Amino acid sequence: MSAEPTLTETARVGDPSDLPPGGSGRTPARRGIRIPRKLWLPWLLLTPALGVLGVLLLYPLYRVGALSLQEYRLRNIVTGEVEWLGIDNYREVLTDPLLWKVAFPNTAVFAVVNVALTVVVGTLIALLLARVGPWTRGLLTSAIMAAWAVPAVTGTYVWVFLFDSRAGLVMHVLGDLGLVDPDTTNWFTERLPFYGIATLNVVHHGFPFVAITVLAGLMTLSREVMEAAIIDGANAWQRFWYVTVPLLKPVFAVVTILSTIWDFKVFTQIYLMPGGDGANRDVLNLGTWSYITAISQNNFGLGAAIAVLLTLLLLAITGVYLRVLFRQEEL
Amino acid sequence: MRVRRLAVGLAAIGLLAAACGDNSSENNNFANSGDDKISAKGETLSVWIMEGTNPDAKPFFKDVAAAFKEETGATLKVQYVPWADAHDKFVKSIAGDTTPDVAEVGTTWTPEFADVGALLDLSRQVEDAQLGGDLVDGLVEAGTVDGSLYGMPWYAGVRSVIYRTDVFEKAGVEPPTTWDEFVTVGEKIKAENPDMITFPVPGDSEYGVYPFVWGAGGDIATQDGDSWKATIDSAEAQEGISFYTDLALEHGFSTPAATTWDEADTSDAFSRGEVAMTIAGNWTPGALIEANPELEGKIGAFPIPGKDSGVSPSFLGGSHLSVFQTAENPDLAWAFVRLMSQGDFAAQWGDESGFFPGSKSLLEKAQAEDDPLVAPFAEQIVEGGKSVPVTPLYGQVQGKKTVSAMLQSILSGDATVAEASEQAATEMDDVFAQGG
Repeated sequence: MSAEPTLTETARVGDPSDLPPGGSGRTPARRGIRIPRKLWLPWLLLTPALGVLGVLLLYPLYRVGALSLQEYRLRNIVTGEVEWLGIDNYREVLTDPLLWKVAFPNTAVFAVVNVALTVVVGTLIALLLARVGPWTRGLLTSAIMAAWAVPAVTGTYVWVFLFDSRAGLVMHVLGDLGLVDPDTTNWFTERLPFYGIATLNVVHHGFPFVAITVLAGLMTLSREVMEAAIIDGANAWQRFWYVTVPLLKPVFAVVTILSTIWDFKVFTQIYLMPGGDGANRDVLNLGTWSYITAISQNNFGLGAAIAVLLTLLLLAITGVYLRVLFRQEEL
Repeated sequence: MRVRRLAVGLAAIGLLAAACGDNSSENNNFANSGDDKISAKGETLSVWIMEGTNPDAKPFFKDVAAAFKEETGATLKVQYVPWADAHDKFVKSIAGDTTPDVAEVGTTWTPEFADVGALLDLSRQVEDAQLGGDLVDGLVEAGTVDGSLYGMPWYAGVRSVIYRTDVFEKAGVEPPTTWDEFVTVGEKIKAENPDMITFPVPGDSEYGVYPFVWGAGGDIATQDGDSWKATIDSAEAQEGISFYTDLALEHGFSTPAATTWDEADTSDAFSRGEVAMTIAGNWTPGALIEANPELEGKIGAFPIPGKDSGVSPSFLGGSHLSVFQTAENPDLAWAFVRLMSQGDFAAQWGDESGFFPGSKSLLEKAQAEDDPLVAPFAEQIVEGGKSVPVTPLYGQVQGKKTVSAMLQSILSGDATVAEASEQAATEMDDVFAQGG
């Protein structure tokens, strides 16, 4: 708690009564600061980070893990009694057809498609931004930032409204063109259109990050390399694929991994769409399924088990991805 | 170092568990008799009230706060919670021990929260204040768990059909009194107003289908001793579900958009003037006119017709006022509950919100007024007010959106009535079997 003051006070003053009680008290503060400092200073400097990590990350992780092995409902919260189940929750989730037919495919396919689209669209925009003049770039960047800055909740409602069956702009335009019949269409009831709209929403919200990051990478590439490639007779596609992409591999690694994490655990954008809160079972994904099980049905143990599975899945995919990446690096 | 951190962590968890353990409910939380006046100068009472019940609740609670301050000296802090988020918010706050002192609790949630020990038993306070005899029976029943009252009846509401009087007049039809008439009337309205939604069948509104399940002689689930068994797939229930969903699928009274609508969406469409008739609560007309003043004088109501005669039962809902076990001063909390649920404030709340008060004497007064937007609902309450299964387990069924999922899959053509209702029954039985 009093980490920073301790540091300056012990260094400056040297009156032991100024020392706060606790861990740092055992360091000889009066004299000979130099030697013990090596021992306590790193820990002292790490304390805020460790404290934050411990409270925000490690404890919740432990708690979710423990919950997933328990029968834990509202009653247990209030009474404090704990009922250990072993792996029953996992067995229930893993044998539920909902997992294999609905939640897992929805999560995985959605993530793969969205990561690919986000990275491709973001990269194309970045390439465009790298070509235009500084004024246009400033203008376009601001516009992109606006898409990024819109909160997920607001963005989702806007997309839902655009595709609304009766009042939505998209339905009106397509209806006037005779492409769909607004009187018989509701896009939110079927899996594909539902996730199509969610994809527009998520890609629209996610591509600015990719664009800005890739643009930053593009700006660091030296002109000489490109010129050399041009002299060697490489066309635009070859220059991009054989020069830019390998050079920017670390950047692509970061944006792909982050997008993967975000798109796998997508929740808000699905939950807030019509039927996404559990009324339409076809569109559940792991995130909404976990939330509905834990919070709406107060079955916190089972919900935690789903959440743990989602986390493991994410870790596995990120792990495989990193391995592939590093192996290529070595070659 | 690592070991020590682990030890500290474990100790903290232990403390937390111990602290939670202390919260198990005891009966004697109140120091005073339920009839006593109390003085609590300088204290603050936190209260959650559901948003939207009373279209303009702020002036009302300003008056309540003033009266409360005068009576007890304490300050009232009201927080408005939207219905849609309320259940999650309650659950999270019970889990985090951050519940308010008093809250408006939907009648179907009271057994659930009481069952886990989050609410205080109000039976003795009610007895002390001699209020028991005047409370509306249905609300007392919904708030009673193992013989103890955990929710003070505050107000009651019921759903019937509201309709556009101008549209009915133009089509030359009268409110229907049987299911067959309902279809005939609908067809005439549809022919006259092809651009309007004759009668939306919203997929995400379980309270819309229950009247037809009950009206056909079916039930959602029945109790046998301590256990419950789903009956939503019985022949009678299926007949009701078929009739209801066929209003959309066969007769085209609804719109595909409604497949994913909830009641709020239906109300929005009605207030935009797009709907000829719809199932709606007795509390909605005020808000609809507020949203679109042009509807003033054009809204009527009729009880949901019985299959061949009479009235199809409709869910009798409403709200309790409950004192949470986290209340710092339970007596102060009770003083507020008493102030709100009785006398002038209860009557005023009923007038402003369009709900029926939870006290019999006030309810009778409201019924006696021959208001066209009150009388049909009063008739619905008296002749056909019914409850969903009174068990915390049914709260879980509702959390799982079992009935909404059933309706949506029928309306979107993914399942037949038989398939969808059997699926729903299986889900319900799973929840009933697992227990709380």
